Amino acid sequence: MDDLILEVQHLTHQFRLTKNLVIKAVDDLSFQIRRGEIFGLVGESGSGKSTVARCIMNIYQPSSGRIFYNGINVCDPKEFRKHKKILQTSRQLIFQDSASSLNGRMQVADIIGEPMEIHHIKPPRGSLRAEAEFQLHSVGLDKSYLNKYPTELSGGMRQRVAIARALSMEPELLVADEPIASLDVSIQAQIINLFKHLQAEHDFSILFIAHDLSVVKYLCDRVGVMYRGKLVEVAQTKELFSSPKHPYTKTLLSAIPVPDPRRERTRVLQEFDPALFEWDGKLVEISPDHLVWKGGNQ
Amino acid sequence: MAELLEIKNLSVSFDTPQGELQAVRDVSFSLHAGEVLALVGESGCGKSVLCKSIMKLLHGNARITGGSILVDGVDITNYRQRDMERLRGRLFSMVFQDPMATLNPTISIGEQIAEAVRVHHPKMEREAVYQRVMELMKLVGITEPEQRYRQYPYHFSGGMRQRSVMAIALASNPKILLADEPTTSLDVTIQAQILDLLRDIQQKLGTATIFVSHDLGVVARIADRVAVMYAGKIVEIGTAEEIFYDPRHPYTWALMRSLPAFAREGEELYTIPGMPPTMIDLPPGDAFASRNEYALAIDYEEMPPMFQISDTHYAATWLLDERAPKITPPMGGDFHG
Amino acid sequence: MNRKNPYVYYGKKILIFLLSVLLLSVVIFYVARLAPGDPLVSYYGDRVEKMSMAEREWAEENLGLNDPIHVQYLRWLQNALKGNFGISFKYKTDVLEVIGGRLVNTLILGGIGFVLIFVLALGLGILCAWHEEKWLDKLICKVGTIISCIPEFWLSLILILIFAIYLRWLPSSSAYSIGKAKDISDRILHLILPMTIVVGSHLWYYAYMIRNKLLEEVRAEYVLLAKSKGLDKKSILFRHCLRNIIPSYLSIMAISVPHILGGTYIIETVFSYPGIGTLSYESARYQDYNLLMLLCILSGAVVILCNIIAQTINEHIDPRMRENESIETTEVTEIG
Repeated sequence: MDDLILEVQHLTHQFRLTKNLVIKAVDDLSFQIRRGEIFGLVGESGSGKSTVARCIMNIYQPSSGRIFYNGINVCDPKEFRKHKKILQTSRQLIFQDSASSLNGRMQVADIIGEPMEIHHIKPPRGSLRAEAEFQLHSVGLDKSYLNKYPTELSGGMRQRVAIARALSMEPELLVADEPIASLDVSIQAQIINLFKHLQAEHDFSILFIAHDLSVVKYLCDRVGVMYRGKLVEVAQTKELFSSPKHPYTKTLLSAIPVPDPRRERTRVLQEFDPALFEWDGKLVEISPDHLVWKGGNQ
Repeated sequence: MAELLEIKNLSVSFDTPQGELQAVRDVSFSLHAGEVLALVGESGCGKSVLCKSIMKLLHGNARITGGSILVDGVDITNYRQRDMERLRGRLFSMVFQDPMATLNPTISIGEQIAEAVRVHHPKMEREAVYQRVMELMKLVGITEPEQRYRQYPYHFSGGMRQRSVMAIALASNPKILLADEPTTSLDVTIQAQILDLLRDIQQKLGTATIFVSHDLGVVARIADRVAVMYAGKIVEIGTAEEIFYDPRHPYTWALMRSLPAFAREGEELYTIPGMPPTMIDLPPGDAFASRNEYALAIDYEEMPPMFQISDTHYAATWLLDERAPKITPPMGGDFHG
Repeated sequence: MNRKNPYVYYGKKILIFLLSVLLLSVVIFYVARLAPGDPLVSYYGDRVEKMSMAEREWAEENLGLNDPIHVQYLRWLQNALKGNFGISFKYKTDVLEVIGGRLVNTLILGGIGFVLIFVLALGLGILCAWHEEKWLDKLICKVGTIISCIPEFWLSLILILIFAIYLRWLPSSSAYSIGKAKDISDRILHLILPMTIVVGSHLWYYAYMIRNKLLEEVRAEYVLLAKSKGLDKKSILFRHCLRNIIPSYLSIMAISVPHILGGTYIIETVFSYPGIGTLSYESARYQDYNLLMLLCILSGAVVILCNIIAQTINEHIDPRMRENESIETTEVTEIG
């Protein structure tokens, strides 16, 4: 079990909307992330992807289930308090909307230095500023950005700053919640490259949440497909894209638009009928490393 | 084919405290009856502004600084808002990116569609309006229209909301539909459904469509012709086949190369160096020159004209000049993704 | 929920109202008795100073002031529920009688003032929004800002000085000339100055609010769709934008009733207008408990009632608040 950085077991999270209406955003979800891999989580909006990320990052307390990070059960308040510093530094979260997740009244240098200050970590490169400069450099921005405010930066640059801030903690696990969804195509490419570079360099693990499947196909090692709070298929990326098994995965893959007019015009969208989805069931390993949701009790 | 819409050398500017922002610069194109023309480009390239300026939906600080807009041969460039009100809905109407924001949250869906029906038929009987709303809702694929009529936008899912917006846009049988990133806020599966619906309706009603998008995959599915925009200008325009299989402008190459779908395994994604220019105080010459690895000296001095490649295919790059060095394009041919 | 059973819905609201008023009466009762001062003064006047201890005790017992506060309260509540709110120490008559005539005067001033503010603010706001950033809009906004910066009592004095003293066109005080209580034209004449102040001091704030809310709505994206389907400016402003701001305007206006009433209290004092305002001031000053109690409860009840009305209005106009349970039919897309 030593090669697992994160193990999610039977995670369930409910939102209470009104007195008698409860929504299961995440329903009995289990998966693992291995050390040094990029794990993609895909699904349509409302499928519970972000809720999973927030449970993993202790933003939400799950209704039930356990999440082990490096063997620590983060859902247990006692264990969480005991390992608080490690948990809060070695796991880092990057949001979709960096415009609102970065404090608009702080300069870039302070944004990057803040986590070190909070956790009383001695900056390895002397001063907080030197550290900020180093991290900025590693995400491809030079030191002229140190004194800028987030509003002066473009979306791509802000996302780089958010990544630099996460990097300053030398994380082992990076949870990226739709980090490129609001960026332009050419900027997306830059950030995807950056993720790939940094991952190769630092060898951390990434939970990459996205709805753009072509990005996931390019970036991730393994992919999990979520449907209404359930994980319906988990497989190696290549395997998933070449031989999807669950009907929902097939629909999802058939819906990705490809930049090829001739192919696009003839492509037929595979319909997925939600009524046919069997809510009772479990993930079954059909071939090594390929799990598919099987309905019923067979 | 008849030219339904003709844009000639259109320029649109915004007055900002920093100076004049040239959002659209010297754009010319035409739209034939019954075709889908896609406007592709990154945010800030002026594609949305171009659409809104055709319908004169821009706010006070925007103005048309040059050129003309002709509809069916009639110049509407200097039409005032009151004149435009008569054309909107009937001649052209628009679908927007975020269907939740574009529907009035406090009026029921049916009422909002009915209002669109009544705008140009104020004397229509109640029952006839209702029948027309039912017809429209069925057209855009809203199931159980009788029940849905009384429901409010917040009852609807994203896809259903966008269908409702389409019903509103189509209420008075417009000749031109402008769709500004209509599927961007939707999930892939819903996006595919809406695209198919758009295509379907477009073939059924013969509505000419201008489809604005940043997603080349979406464009490939829907467009007959494609115009690529950069820094307020159309840099390349042609049929979908020409643009996707035989692109000629370095920016079109760059845009396609940066897509993960085109990347070969293990290879890095291509990224365009530098940043898009701010649209205030643009440099002389080609706005893309400083980011263009194939840039020639002349690109920094003189704006390239539109070079003709075929009857339908034009691109604004000096590489197409006969004096330019011959280079092998990094893109083109069939898709291998 | 509330559609299915209006009795439960309104019953709940009325219950909340009654409970709030009850709680309010407890608080006022205690606070009034904790305040320094001698209630006997208001009943007996200067004679109190010459009273012996025994006389004092007798007087207090007579007025029921020597019991513990909660006993006094319960006694008061018992009588109040029978419609007997006690006598005013100062006027030596039933407090209802004391308030009666004055209440009408205040309602005339405050009520008509409120309606005028409500209607004029709406009109001015729409006018400004229609002519956004044009000279009319700018003029109205500037004039409004200046006038609302002037304290109302000072403005009252200036107006009295001009219209009552120099020009002698209008009376400076009271609600009617002596002996002309039934003469409507005389009453109107007396109303003009205080009414001008009541309306003039509040109007601008609400007009400006309407203007800004409207302009915010005009910038909303649904206006683009409304425009693109061919609607004209008038329909967009009235049928779409105004419709969307009316609920919040109504609720703000409902909440502002006490605010405007509070304003009339001051103006009543300045113009010596015989209304509730002057009376409350007196009753608080002379520890006229029974009178104070009723006045506070009356004003408090108005405040609570207005808030409940505001809430009800909101729930009825906004379809999203109207039916809580319909969330089920919505696809919850925000969670994910």
